[in-house]
Amino acid sequence: MTARPTQLDAHFAAEVMERPGGKHLLTCMACGTCASVCLVRRFYPSFNPRRVLHQASLGMREAVLSSPEIWLCSACDACYPRCPQEIHISEVMGALRDLAIEAGYEAPGPFPVVDSAVCSGCAVCARVCPYEAMAPARDEADPTRQTAHVDHTRCLHCGLCVAACPSGAISLEETNDQEILARVTADGWMEQRGLLSGGTQPRCLAFVCQWSIRSDAAWERAQRFGDQVRLVPLPCSGRVEPAMVLWALSRGVDAVLVVGCDDDECHYQRGTYIGRSKVYLLSEMLATMGYQQERVRFARQASADRYGLERHVQEMLATITTLTAPIAVTVD
Amino acid sequence: MVDAARHPNITILANTEVEHVDGFIGNFSVNLITKPRYVIADRCNGCGACAQACPIEVPNPFELNIAPRKAIDVPHGQAVPLVYAVDMDHCIHCYKCVTACGKLDAIDFAQQPQETNIEVGTIVVATGFSSFDPSVIPEYGYGRYPNVITAMELERLANSAGPTVGRLVRPSDGQPPQSMAIIQCVGSRDKRYNEYCSGFCCMYAIKNAILLKQMHHAMDITIFYIDIRTPSKGYEEFYTRAREAGIRFFQGRPSLVSEDPDTGNLIIEAEDQALGGVVEVEAEMVCLSAAAIPQPDADDLAAKLTLARSPSGFFMEYHPKLRPVDAPTDGVYLAGAAQGPKDIPASVAQGSAAASRAARVLSQDTWEIEPIVAEVDPALCISAQGKKCGICARACPYGAIVVEQGQPATIFTAKCHGCGGCAAECPHNAIQQKHFTDAQILAQIKTLLQDRPEEKILAFMCNWCSYGGADMAGISHFTYPATSRGIRVMCCARTDDKFVLEAFRRGAGMVLVSGCHPQDCHYITGQQVGARRFERLRTTLERMGIDPARYRVEWISAAEGEKYARVITEMDAVLASYDPAEVVRQNRQAAAQIARRLKKWNEDPRLVHIFEDLPLVEEVVE
Repeated sequence: MTARPTQLDAHFAAEVMERPGGKHLLTCMACGTCASVCLVRRFYPSFNPRRVLHQASLGMREAVLSSPEIWLCSACDACYPRCPQEIHISEVMGALRDLAIEAGYEAPGPFPVVDSAVCSGCAVCARVCPYEAMAPARDEADPTRQTAHVDHTRCLHCGLCVAACPSGAISLEETNDQEILARVTADGWMEQRGLLSGGTQPRCLAFVCQWSIRSDAAWERAQRFGDQVRLVPLPCSGRVEPAMVLWALSRGVDAVLVVGCDDDECHYQRGTYIGRSKVYLLSEMLATMGYQQERVRFARQASADRYGLERHVQEMLATITTLTAPIAVTVD
Repeated sequence: MVDAARHPNITILANTEVEHVDGFIGNFSVNLITKPRYVIADRCNGCGACAQACPIEVPNPFELNIAPRKAIDVPHGQAVPLVYAVDMDHCIHCYKCVTACGKLDAIDFAQQPQETNIEVGTIVVATGFSSFDPSVIPEYGYGRYPNVITAMELERLANSAGPTVGRLVRPSDGQPPQSMAIIQCVGSRDKRYNEYCSGFCCMYAIKNAILLKQMHHAMDITIFYIDIRTPSKGYEEFYTRAREAGIRFFQGRPSLVSEDPDTGNLIIEAEDQALGGVVEVEAEMVCLSAAAIPQPDADDLAAKLTLARSPSGFFMEYHPKLRPVDAPTDGVYLAGAAQGPKDIPASVAQGSAAASRAARVLSQDTWEIEPIVAEVDPALCISAQGKKCGICARACPYGAIVVEQGQPATIFTAKCHGCGGCAAECPHNAIQQKHFTDAQILAQIKTLLQDRPEEKILAFMCNWCSYGGADMAGISHFTYPATSRGIRVMCCARTDDKFVLEAFRRGAGMVLVSGCHPQDCHYITGQQVGARRFERLRTTLERMGIDPARYRVEWISAAEGEKYARVITEMDAVLASYDPAEVVRQNRQAAAQIARRLKKWNEDPRLVHIFEDLPLVEEVVE
């Protein structure tokens, strides 16, 4: 894109700075720390917070507000504590989104879809949503009922609501149960035998928050265990479903590892806490059932810990080999 | 250094600390404490037999603790004077050194700290800088990953007189690295640590890179930078040479350094601006160009010498352009990185300049000072009457005033710089600043507000900053309303709150009090002395019924002509929004209270001619 001074909006930067969170816009010296620490870029290589900030400071109003990039930042704030100019970039992005919404732009999505015929209006999704994007409201088809509604200006498609919905009324493309299960079972992985089912080597299923992994290289390193481990990316560790964990254990998988972001680094504000509590409750439940709770574990993965995933998997595999066969668990 | 030690007019007092400094330009009295070496300097010939005999090895701070030294040793090989010293924190008193010293009999365990006093005419402060500790930046892993080192450590590792005899090796495995990444701006240009640019790191990083490339042609060297700054003679050419030598430059500040647990290699992640994308570089060693920071004991020395410090913590010069090597205290001069980050050529230049400034004083029998000093009227000073006061002494940024109960306050004229803060602070009008007396300033207020005062903005401006700012507004042809009338004082500390009250009593529409920004004050802490008073005045005015919107305090630097024009324009708009009758009513209503507060002035025989046109206090009160 070409930036012609005549097309630049001299007031745009001031407008952003007037917004809550936008005031440090002009102190950016373009060092690129944010761009290189940002975990979004692994999935959206074009995303560059530095460029967005620079465009905004130059006054490229249309380019910034129409850009899908301003909707990609999920406010994990990996950049904020590292920025030498102490710019709270996620807040600047928030200010830009506000301006974009006012200018009539819409967030690109994908957004969760509520099947209003199935939704019971229980509002569990509203409680779990970190962005207050879910709220029960009068159903359009049947005004006597309340059903969940998605606020597209707030939703950052983390999928927590999908996992939380007790009725299974919410779906979100690429993170539906079927798609996750397909990743687990791909290439006949579930048919192979682990230690529990008479095999010779341990078999571990790992649900991994996609944002907690720094680079593809880190992912590849964790793959060196071959078929002993099946890595399944999730949009957030909070997306993990206890039923899926139990299903895997009942089918002879030796252990299930859930890897989520470290404290204060969650891409979806509190998704990692939700994931962690799910796994904790599940392991307690297994213990009361007389099952070895070591077989379900949550591992915290700091964004700066490049080799963390590999280590977590290795530790889990080592744990499995020390365990003797438990009583069987069957789940319908 | 050796030349200096041999010079007949130079005495080196090593191992010695300044304890206390008294006096003034040309007549300083300095108390020194020489710490014991436990070695008699006159007898030690520097042979080193004692160190060889010593069985104790401790980390050597000169080698940044990479190498050991003995519990009796010299600070470093080229130390001047070459006298060994015992490190009492580690000595086990085996006395093997005494035996080794033999007939020279230079070792004396009974030595005590020695206090000495010297009389000097001038003082040059050249205490240098310290290096930022990068371990507080977790993302670079210094202190966690052995192969992440600082530039100072690289200097030692690459030095032929260093611990590895110039053979660069990795701390993790002792192997020579095949690749090196250098990260710039570590702890500098960073609001979390030091906001300023350290200035010389770009050049030494390039120097180190070229040096390493010359020693190891195959070495892969990458420099990560935000901006390369090469603003001196020949520097840019040097940078070009580095690029031509095959040194790789990435414009981007790394966000993370991670260690490969298997190899000990480091992966650096940064965004390169030209590529517009992220680069990941694997290097066997990482060198951090850590910020230059003020010496940790700078505060201590600043207190002893009444030095000011810049916001960055380095010692502040008297004037950044016109007196760059003078300290705010007359007769004290600054040289080198103690005054701000500096490379060697600049430090040498400043050292020569400081010596010349000092020689200027030393070569004369008498020294002229500015005539604007303050003086005490002993008859009015209540300290002379045995009462407790000392307000003036507390206000003086130079420690020029001494107050002893029962004696009038004494001002050391040679130490006084003429800010006038004491004159304004004295509650008994016992201090006058020459050429800025109460009578002179009150006469100006009277004259400037003689005609239609309710339409005027009376502005008090400090000589160095806000008066310069007003001047700048004029020479830059900034337009602002013609309603302002200025009164110049040396420092805003001289602006007595009673001047503001007097202005309102004489009917002023608005009053502006202005001075330097806190960090720019030419009288060290003068601005703060004034600022405290001006803040209190706001509530006083409110109590008296004068709208605080008619009184404004602004810090305006000499470069901020635009700000001066803007402030006056804004104040004029406020004044224009007022009904002139309301201004007059507020001023009249406050007149009686003001008159009571100015009673001492009204009764002062030196000021009779100023107040003769005003009604007597009693009349106003009625």
